[in-house]
Amino acid sequence: MLKTKTSSATDLESVDYLKERYKVYKAMLLDLLAGADSPTQSTVLTLAMRLVKEETSQDVRHAEQAWKTGVFAELVKSLIVHTACGPAREEFVEKFVEEYDDVRFYTFYTISNFLSRTDIADKPRADATGNALNLLSSIEGIPDSQDQLEDWYGETSHQPKHQLLSLTQHKKRAQEAWLAVLRSELSKDQRKNVLAIMSSRVTPWFSQVELLMDFLTDSYNFGGATSLLALSGLFYLMQEKNLDYPQFFQKLYSLLDHDLLHSKHRSRFFRLLDTFMSSTHLPAALVASFIKRLSRLALLAPPGAIVVVLPWIYNMLKKHPTCTFMIHREIRDPAARKRLEEEGMSDPFNMLEEDPMATRAIDSCLWEIEILQGHYHPNVATLAKIISEQFTKRNYNLEDFLDHSYAGLIDAELGKELKKAPVVEFEIPKRIFTTEEGRLDRLGSLLSNAIGGS
Amino acid sequence: MPPSQLKALKTSLREKGITAPSKSRKDKKNGPPTTTSGRDRATALAKIRTEMNPYEYRHISSRPAKFPSTSVKGSYKDVLLRRPGVSVSKGEEVRRKQLLPEMRGRLKSGGLVDRRIGEGDGGMGEEERAVARFARERGRNVFDLEGSDEEGGGGGLLTHGGRAIADLEDDDMKLSGDEGGSDEDDGFLVRKRQREDEEDEVVDEQPDVKKSKKEVMTELIAKSKLHKYERQKTKEDDDDLRDKLDAGMADLLPLLRAQVANNLPPPPPPKPVEVDGDVSKINPERQKLLDGMDRGAADREYEKRLRELARDTRAAPSDRTKTAEEKAKDAAEKVKELVIRREKRMRGEAVSDDEEVEHERDDSEEAAVVDEYGNEELGDDAEEFGLASAAVAKVEKVQHVDEDDFDFDADLVASASEADEESASEDDSEVEDDDAAPAAEDNEEDEFISGILGRGANAVPIADPSTKTANTSESLACPRTHADFLALIKDNAVEELELPTLIQRLRSQYLPSLAAENKAKMENFSRVLVEHLVYMAEHDQEMAVMEQVIRHLHSLSRTYAVAIAEALRARLGAWVEGSSSSEGGGGGLGVGKGDLVVLVAIGEIYPTSDHFHQVVTPAFTGVGRWLGLNAGVKGMGGEKGRVGALMVGLCVKWVGGSGRFVPEAVRFTLAALGSRGGAIGEHLENLKGMADLWKEKSAFLEIFSPFVPILRQLGKPARPTLQHLTALLDASRQARKPLMLHHHRPQALRLSNPKFEEGFNPDRHYDPDRERSEAGKLKKEFKREKKGAVRELRKDANFVAREQLRSKRVEDEEHKRRERRLVAEIQSESRN
Repeated sequence: MLKTKTSSATDLESVDYLKERYKVYKAMLLDLLAGADSPTQSTVLTLAMRLVKEETSQDVRHAEQAWKTGVFAELVKSLIVHTACGPAREEFVEKFVEEYDDVRFYTFYTISNFLSRTDIADKPRADATGNALNLLSSIEGIPDSQDQLEDWYGETSHQPKHQLLSLTQHKKRAQEAWLAVLRSELSKDQRKNVLAIMSSRVTPWFSQVELLMDFLTDSYNFGGATSLLALSGLFYLMQEKNLDYPQFFQKLYSLLDHDLLHSKHRSRFFRLLDTFMSSTHLPAALVASFIKRLSRLALLAPPGAIVVVLPWIYNMLKKHPTCTFMIHREIRDPAARKRLEEEGMSDPFNMLEEDPMATRAIDSCLWEIEILQGHYHPNVATLAKIISEQFTKRNYNLEDFLDHSYAGLIDAELGKELKKAPVVEFEIPKRIFTTEEGRLDRLGSLLSNAIGGS
Repeated sequence: MPPSQLKALKTSLREKGITAPSKSRKDKKNGPPTTTSGRDRATALAKIRTEMNPYEYRHISSRPAKFPSTSVKGSYKDVLLRRPGVSVSKGEEVRRKQLLPEMRGRLKSGGLVDRRIGEGDGGMGEEERAVARFARERGRNVFDLEGSDEEGGGGGLLTHGGRAIADLEDDDMKLSGDEGGSDEDDGFLVRKRQREDEEDEVVDEQPDVKKSKKEVMTELIAKSKLHKYERQKTKEDDDDLRDKLDAGMADLLPLLRAQVANNLPPPPPPKPVEVDGDVSKINPERQKLLDGMDRGAADREYEKRLRELARDTRAAPSDRTKTAEEKAKDAAEKVKELVIRREKRMRGEAVSDDEEVEHERDDSEEAAVVDEYGNEELGDDAEEFGLASAAVAKVEKVQHVDEDDFDFDADLVASASEADEESASEDDSEVEDDDAAPAAEDNEEDEFISGILGRGANAVPIADPSTKTANTSESLACPRTHADFLALIKDNAVEELELPTLIQRLRSQYLPSLAAENKAKMENFSRVLVEHLVYMAEHDQEMAVMEQVIRHLHSLSRTYAVAIAEALRARLGAWVEGSSSSEGGGGGLGVGKGDLVVLVAIGEIYPTSDHFHQVVTPAFTGVGRWLGLNAGVKGMGGEKGRVGALMVGLCVKWVGGSGRFVPEAVRFTLAALGSRGGAIGEHLENLKGMADLWKEKSAFLEIFSPFVPILRQLGKPARPTLQHLTALLDASRQARKPLMLHHHRPQALRLSNPKFEEGFNPDRHYDPDRERSEAGKLKKEFKREKKGAVRELRKDANFVAREQLRSKRVEDEEHKRRERRLVAEIQSESRN
């Protein structure tokens, strides 16, 4: 549009002038993007993209140059840098990135290019990373085959070997962009978000999944829910890509903390745990540690978690009969029995020991399960009884016990019709809240405290 | 070891009386000679001879005598001898008849069969033949065209396959008796079998002479006549005896009556009953009828009397008035029974009609399809434990409320309403002790009940005496909705404290015994009362009044259990959904004042120790959920801590009877004490309660050890609790034993084949696989048939060879004779 070689001086002058004006216009436009409200942002985006269209509708070489350095690159950069332009970012992804393959291609290019620059300060970089992550994770349409690359925003006359026509190249760009994001410092929440969408939005772009190894290992070492989320990815790498993770089980054991059974990723973890522990060649001491620790945790767990732990323990005991000493231990040595009578038995299991091979859980007993047999919820109590009945069932399908919650348990009962009259306590108490003297008793004072009245 | 032949012979001879054991001289002198007569002796000897001859007779079954009872078919037991010699000769005969002509005519074709009567019979003279043929010709039906060429058979007889039907039937019967029937056309083997059967016919019952048919018949007739006579005789004897007894009955009856009603006033002296023969035996009614009374009148009278009898109230012992001690004992027994039932429910055992639940479970188990590896593939493992996902709509059977379960409730209701009636009729007589209330002797309980009934308003501590007058004067409208109730309260200007009196008046006015529709009205009122309870809590009304309302709800629950339970459950549902008017924040985390009071009321009204209860279980789960979700350390100081203290207090109270474990309560208390928020004292109290509750449990150490460092940090206020807890922990450590959960009896493997059979019969097959046993049967039959066929063919071949040899010999003889004659002729010619 504005390029010439053999023109007169005045023409050149005017071209320079126009270029200058164009530059100023672009800058103003993109500045507007940062601060304005969403309708303005939308307008700006549309205008900018029109400019992009103009710039890229030249011959191939110039077009590529325009994509990489022109108004498009500027636009993407400002979308990433400014946190405030969230609506514009969304619109950009929705209207352009998802629609046009070349837009997506060069978006990836620009992002990876920008994030790998080293001259950015920490704060803007963190913002940029977050925004880039935001942008990348909202991209849904991942092409499966070469044939799907057919929507172009700019010039369409590519020669057959052009990189825009190659699926591998597309994937490579995306992979680079993702790696650039993942290499930067991510906050805990960002990490969790990435891990949550890992299988659906991230790994499909990767032709070499191994590249995610560092990220996953770091996340796994992070601890808490992040570790839980990283577990599946890591397991995939170990299984398929021969990743060697030293002390995997020790790490896994350390994940069994007090929050695990209350976490919302509980069922996800148990699915994986079931897979990890499915081998019959695991040392009994290790399995016993897992069993003992989980039953210890179940002591304070909600019913939804207890009903997962119990069948899991059953399956483990069935698979590792050596561990059944934990539920049935007969002391045959008379001296030891006498000592037991006199001194009782303290639990040899060490909850603080981090190495699952050294907890001495195998010498302990599952007293925790016994008390759970008197759980206040009838279904849980009944389920806990399976441990003390004969092990005639081969195994329980763990999947059936996952995903139970308080709400489900209550609804299951309240959802039913009241078919017959409930039993009523036969004795009508004389006093409930008050004592003989007319004062409040304990229940009454608790209630009045709780209600906040009187 | 079988006895020797000689011994057997001796014993059989002795048994038959042929040789007598050597007698003493005395015996010989006295007794007549016991040797049997000559003819008898001969037959007996013949019998013994045949019995002792192992070649003449043999057992049909070749099975050794090891299983004599099983290897023999029932009554054939002593008929099981057959004579192989006879059967061989019989078979020979048959062959001669059938096979020989075949053999002779083998190479011949065509020819004539002479079927004229007596043609081949040498014993018939020319004359006789002619007579027989003539008779035959005379007897033939002129119109029977088809029978024209049938001359050998029996003229007009029906035939099948060229044989007379009579013969056929005989054969068939034999076949069906032995082999289960087969057809004539079955071919050689069957024919052969028939032959064998014919041979078997030779098997005879007794070796002595057969009786003729006539003799048998006469014997039979004589026997049957004898039996008939005997029967008549016994019948007559019985009749005589009965008559005698009937005659004595009149004397006996008064005695009997006296025995039955020994505690009744002594019966009137027995009337003299004429026992003079026939007349006394006839019913007077019948006698009249016989005497010519009108039949219709008799029927009417009969009907009348019948009806009178039916309407007649039988004497029944009336309830004796019980003494005070007896009443107390009864009440105590009732309470004991109720406690036992509660304990049963606590253990989750079926109390009465809970079997239905079991059935349901069975059904669902059956529904689960078991695959070949024994895994239930389709069944949800979790469903077995009632943990099916709520989304799965379970098909539920329509169940009717079984009254049995509530028999004692019904009892309570009945007795309560009896008491109601008495008082409602403004009768000033003593209100009967309500034996429904377990502590009926207690004065206060009395007051409570009479309070409910609207009498003695002064018995209710908070009731205003002024309402006593209003009590009877005006009638109140039964409120249908809560708004109605509020309006009623407002209209009558009932103050807060007078509310229980108002409820009493309503209850006494709308007693279900007064009007039919009152039941529905009170049911509705119960619902209203639940709503009002929530309303009172939300408006911070007096605790003592709420207490009274809860008690009213409790007593109403005995009658309107379903209505109140539904109202409470609806309230619970609203709380769990988070849609109730809770003030403590939205979502599942909040809990309103109304919800708290409802929870407390549920704990009071229903038995919380039950393994499962339709209202308590969801309420408990709701409490657990609240505690679980609020166990974060933040904000324990404020309302959360106080509400939590109540919740944990409720948990401790609810599991007090059953000693169940509530993980959430422990967790919440741990968090509350750890955060050092408000209401520390209450939480410490709760902790103490929990520790006392679960001190017997083996996991006590694991549960309560985490509290120790926290209590240490809390310092002085927690010191008593800490000491208490440490003591309990030490005791628990002392008492703890290794777990032994699996003292089970070893389970036997299930066996279906081979199976132990009572009264095993080696001849029968017990194979449970039907196909296999059928196949076995066929195989066996095939083998037997084959063997039989081979044997038969061999015998036939022998016979043929023998016959051929014989005919050859005859031919040779003839040839030699002819040759000799020729030679002689030639010699004589040459000599000449």
